[in-house]
Amino acid sequence: MLRNISLSFTGGTSVVITGPSGSGKSTLLHIIGTLEEPSNGIVEINNINPFTLSEPELAAYRNSVIGFVFQEHHLLPQYSVLENVLIPTLAFKRGTDATERAVQVLKRVGLTDRQSHRPAELSGGERQRVAIARALINQPDILLCDEPTGNLDIATTDTVANLLFELHRVEKTLLIVVTHNLSLTSRFDRHLKLIDGTCLES
Amino acid sequence: MPRFSWNSLKHFWQIHLTVALCTAVATGVLAGALIVGDSVRGSLRDLTTERLGAIQHALLADHFFQPELLQRQNKVPAILLNGTVVAPQTQTRASKVNILGVTDDFFTFWQEDTAPNLNKPAGQPFNAIVINEALQNELSVQVGDTLLVNMSQAADIHPEFLLGERDAADAIQSLRLVISDIIPTENVGRFSLQAHQSLPFNAFITLPVLQKALGQADKVNAVFTADTDPISAADLPLTVEALGLRIKTHEHHFDIQSQQYLLKPILSETALTVAAENRIPTLPTLTYLANTISANDKVIPYSTIVALPTDEGDFAKLLNMHTTEAQQLAYQQAREQKKEQVELEKDKLIKEKRKLRSTKKDREQAEKIIRDLKLLHEILHRPEIILNMWAAEDLGVKVGDEIIITYYSVGAEEAYITETALFRLKGILPIEGIAADRDVIPEFPGIHDSNDMSDWESPFPIDYTLVRDKDETYWDEYGATPKAFIPLNIGKRLWKNRFGDLTTIRFGIMPDSDIQATRTHFESEFLKKIQPEQIGFQFLSLQADGLQAATGATDFGMLFGSLSGFIIIAVALLIAMLFRLGVEQRSREIGILQAVGYPLVKIRRRFLYEGTAVAGIGSLLGCLLAVGYAKLMIFGLQTWWLPAIGTPFMELHVDPTSLVSGVLISLAIVMISIRITVQQLGETSTTALLAGETDFAEITLTQQTKQTEFSTRMSILKKIVITLVVVIITFFLFFDEWFSDIFGPWVEAPIIDFLLLTLTIIGIGWDAFGRWLKSQRVPRRFNRLRFALKNAARQPGRSTTCVKTISLACCIIVAVGVNRHDAPPETEYAFVAESALPLHHSLNTPDGKFELGFSEEASELLSESEIFPFRVLPGEDVSCLNLYQPQKPQILGAPDTMLEEFPWYKLKPVQPEGGKASAVGDAKSLRWILHHNPDDDFLIQDEFGKPLRLELETIENSLFQSQLIISESNFTKYFPSQSGYQFFLIKTPPTLREETAQVLEKTLGDYGFDLTSASDRLASYRAVENTYISTFQSLGGLGVLLGTFGLALIFFRNIIERRGELATLRAFGFRRQLLSRMLFLESCFLLVVGMCIGIAAGLVAPIVSQGHLPSFPWRSLTITLLFIFGFGIIANAIAVGVALRSPLLSTLKSE
Repeated sequence: MLRNISLSFTGGTSVVITGPSGSGKSTLLHIIGTLEEPSNGIVEINNINPFTLSEPELAAYRNSVIGFVFQEHHLLPQYSVLENVLIPTLAFKRGTDATERAVQVLKRVGLTDRQSHRPAELSGGERQRVAIARALINQPDILLCDEPTGNLDIATTDTVANLLFELHRVEKTLLIVVTHNLSLTSRFDRHLKLIDGTCLES
Repeated sequence: MPRFSWNSLKHFWQIHLTVALCTAVATGVLAGALIVGDSVRGSLRDLTTERLGAIQHALLADHFFQPELLQRQNKVPAILLNGTVVAPQTQTRASKVNILGVTDDFFTFWQEDTAPNLNKPAGQPFNAIVINEALQNELSVQVGDTLLVNMSQAADIHPEFLLGERDAADAIQSLRLVISDIIPTENVGRFSLQAHQSLPFNAFITLPVLQKALGQADKVNAVFTADTDPISAADLPLTVEALGLRIKTHEHHFDIQSQQYLLKPILSETALTVAAENRIPTLPTLTYLANTISANDKVIPYSTIVALPTDEGDFAKLLNMHTTEAQQLAYQQAREQKKEQVELEKDKLIKEKRKLRSTKKDREQAEKIIRDLKLLHEILHRPEIILNMWAAEDLGVKVGDEIIITYYSVGAEEAYITETALFRLKGILPIEGIAADRDVIPEFPGIHDSNDMSDWESPFPIDYTLVRDKDETYWDEYGATPKAFIPLNIGKRLWKNRFGDLTTIRFGIMPDSDIQATRTHFESEFLKKIQPEQIGFQFLSLQADGLQAATGATDFGMLFGSLSGFIIIAVALLIAMLFRLGVEQRSREIGILQAVGYPLVKIRRRFLYEGTAVAGIGSLLGCLLAVGYAKLMIFGLQTWWLPAIGTPFMELHVDPTSLVSGVLISLAIVMISIRITVQQLGETSTTALLAGETDFAEITLTQQTKQTEFSTRMSILKKIVITLVVVIITFFLFFDEWFSDIFGPWVEAPIIDFLLLTLTIIGIGWDAFGRWLKSQRVPRRFNRLRFALKNAARQPGRSTTCVKTISLACCIIVAVGVNRHDAPPETEYAFVAESALPLHHSLNTPDGKFELGFSEEASELLSESEIFPFRVLPGEDVSCLNLYQPQKPQILGAPDTMLEEFPWYKLKPVQPEGGKASAVGDAKSLRWILHHNPDDDFLIQDEFGKPLRLELETIENSLFQSQLIISESNFTKYFPSQSGYQFFLIKTPPTLREETAQVLEKTLGDYGFDLTSASDRLASYRAVENTYISTFQSLGGLGVLLGTFGLALIFFRNIIERRGELATLRAFGFRRQLLSRMLFLESCFLLVVGMCIGIAAGLVAPIVSQGHLPSFPWRSLTITLLFIFGFGIIANAIAVGVALRSPLLSTLKSE
């Protein structure tokens, strides 16, 4: 699907990937996020090719380096907002209580007063903000967002986008966002267009 | 819509196929259970028709009679006896053998069979015997072997009467025969009057041979007919001879006497009534044999004494004629003199008694005085006696002198007891007139026709050394002419017993008639008043009664239906869950249909159509499964659960009604499940459906924040209902006796306690789990364990269903399993013994043991044991070991020695009210086998055909589950002709048990004395109960497995639906292994919660309701629960493994 693509990103930059449906945006994002291994080529993050790692190592690597925000927030309805945010911290035992950090992250996304609520009690924008908080709980180097505002109305889209940029600024992460929303592209440092599997930088 | 439905059926074929298969299982299990019931009933019916052949009715009697008495054309006479058979070659013995004296006609009742060879084998000195294979197997014999057949000797006089024969040599008739043929234990080989599924031991002998051996030429005790018209009293015109009576006519009177020596009370009372009605003068007499008549240190041995009305009729005339005034005066003076002495003594004692205080010593003294006063009273009222001149001279007595008589009575356990009676001589008669009349004296067998007294062959012990020459001379000259006469009322008081109180009734001539006409008229009137049933005849409709009994004591259809209930419930839940999954799977489709304007009613109907079609197909498939399931259950009953039926006799009987019922009921259950699921469609908003939200309960949770006023009201209503339920439960917990009174004793208070407690505990468990699922509380620490466990709240509806199903299953299995008795039963008795022939001597006294043939050593050994003998009225086994519905229970007469202990003291006759007796019966046998409410009297017939009401007291888990027990005194009162003891409880020290058993079985082998360990007997009853429990646990376990399978299916579905979430977790670095572990933990959590609630409810309820946990079967129950847990874990592991097999991460991309 993707051909002759050679890209490099530096930390602290923000990148938007656009393109028509089926152009390979999500595939590219998943390859960057180590969810999918490319059939050809090399991916290096911080000088490490993650696909050379074993499954547990790769999982640990992803857990600590990469944060994801999906179009479907995939919050677990049975847990509170705080618990949902804490879920990535359970993948590996770190010996520290992440609750304080989760509370801080929730404060940053503006959901301090909603932390004991269930996802079902939140609006779409709030749910996506919880998803963002969850992605940031392990302080990743890279934040990957796949259509983070795809299911949101215009007002909420702006709110969520503002939050992403604000957090990107504060956390100094590499922010890569796949979106159809062209109105957001101007706010990113780099804009990559994918057409028929090839990448154009504008 | 039908086209849509068809397309939907095809498109969602997997889920529909599963629903159809589940419906097939439900139908198969339900209809199969009904078929099991049909098969038990059908097999019992087959057994009945097989064992009876074409026999429809029978006339049976407790005595022998001429078959010609029965006025029927088609009749087959026979002799039926119970006996033992010994095979000398193989040293084996069989008890409780049906000894059948038959003709070839008897075999024509079974057209399938040809008559076996009953001819005397050529070259053999012995006659032929044919046995069935069951008896052959018991004895290990072959054609040509000789057998020794022991049976009770037929005797006119009851063995328990003074003159009855009871020595083994005389009471047992032994017959040596040669086996000429062995027939299969089917058809005639299975013949038995007892409705029982066990194989009978049958031995056939030609009728004349048996008649000759028993001394009953041309007589039988049974007549059978294949006619469909019942035999009735009208077919049996009685004769005086048939009643066992002899009438001797003289010039001016005729005498009635009985072949049984004593006239049966029913006969004597009727005869006297008829005489009174027809103004026929009567002279009733009672003749007894005195051991001694003594006075003045002189003794006359072995004399007959006649009790008769001394102050009226010929005797009074004779006495007056031969009593001088001086003699009368002497008699009066002697009485007055004694009276003065007695009065003086009496005054003295009364004064002495008045001085006494209430100290212990004085109380004892008072009791002694009362005894003395009674004695004085007796002296004062000493009865009169009249001696004949010979006796008076021999004793050297004069009128007014005291005469002492000793005689035998038959006491407890048939021991001879020497009694003494004191009289005052009132007169002396010459041996003439009635005083010389030997006709009033019935024949004493073994005595009457002896030439000398020293030749007497009496059944009772005689001290021949007492017999003097002058006694022999008297015997030679006067024979049994009475030497003494006493008033009839005194004679009755001394010698009356259960067999009668008169030996002869003399009838005079009625007014304006002659002796012949009087006799003819008397006989006619007398016979009209006697019913055959009153004298031991029974009219039985064997075929009809047998078929009625074949309906079974236990409805196996209902039993297996109930036992399979959990499978059916599990399947119903499974179907509901599957159908719900199917509906949830199509939530978007429903949303779209609603969005485009389909009314909800039509959508529901569409699902119902689909459900009906699927369930219908499943039900039809279930019919085939039903037959297979029934076959499997029957196989189980013939093998694994054999103790429940005792004998592997069952064959498959399929009744189409059962199939249809099974189909309709299961279809109804399935349709209700589907209807409830479809009904919930309306509770979900169209938008939620369009969004593809699936778990209805979850959606409800989602919408909690948007509660309307209506839902608030509903919530309040729900709380009110719950409160009401709690109040009602509490009410019944404390007032369940009232509940029992209202709803009858069928619902026992402990059962109500148990049900209420169980349901309460389960309810509390479910509520707690539900609250936990809904809990919004955020814990201080969030860890993997909580993460995994809380996942159960993802779809609370499904999780709750899982927990409810498992907890109910475990609760039922534990609650039922708790009643299982793994430990061997304990009883204070070492053995239960039964003898085929009655024992007439005590096993507890040296004399009794000597008479029964025990050596001194054996007698010594037996003295270490305590033996309780019971009388037995033959009847049907009313325990769970008998599958037939018993109609005439076996009755035991408990010995007086047992009546002091609990619960037997309840048998003591409190009121001498006629037609009523206290009885003890096993609660379970009464309730479940006889289907009788223990609070109601149980009605049976006494020996005379009169109703006898048994006031029941119940006992639990005793050795007496096969019988009802009454006191021995009531037994002999209502069943006087039953003789001897045939049931025994034996207490023996453990170290002597083996030796004691050997001695008893060896010495009493001729009686067919068989011992069973009391513990084994109890275990055999328990085995049935345990088998039912095992069956239930097996079927319940199968239900749990089905339920677990369903839960695994649902869990699989849950995982599939949560693939997005799981993929997200993978994206966040959760390894596949970790995810699997957490999902597995989640499923196990549901399993454990469900099991814990169920086990707690199943255990706590019996403890609270019974106050303790009866011998808890840890082993079997733990194995069962571990099996369920293991299966659940494996099913869950498979579900998790399969669900996570496909790559999760692709789910994220496919979005």
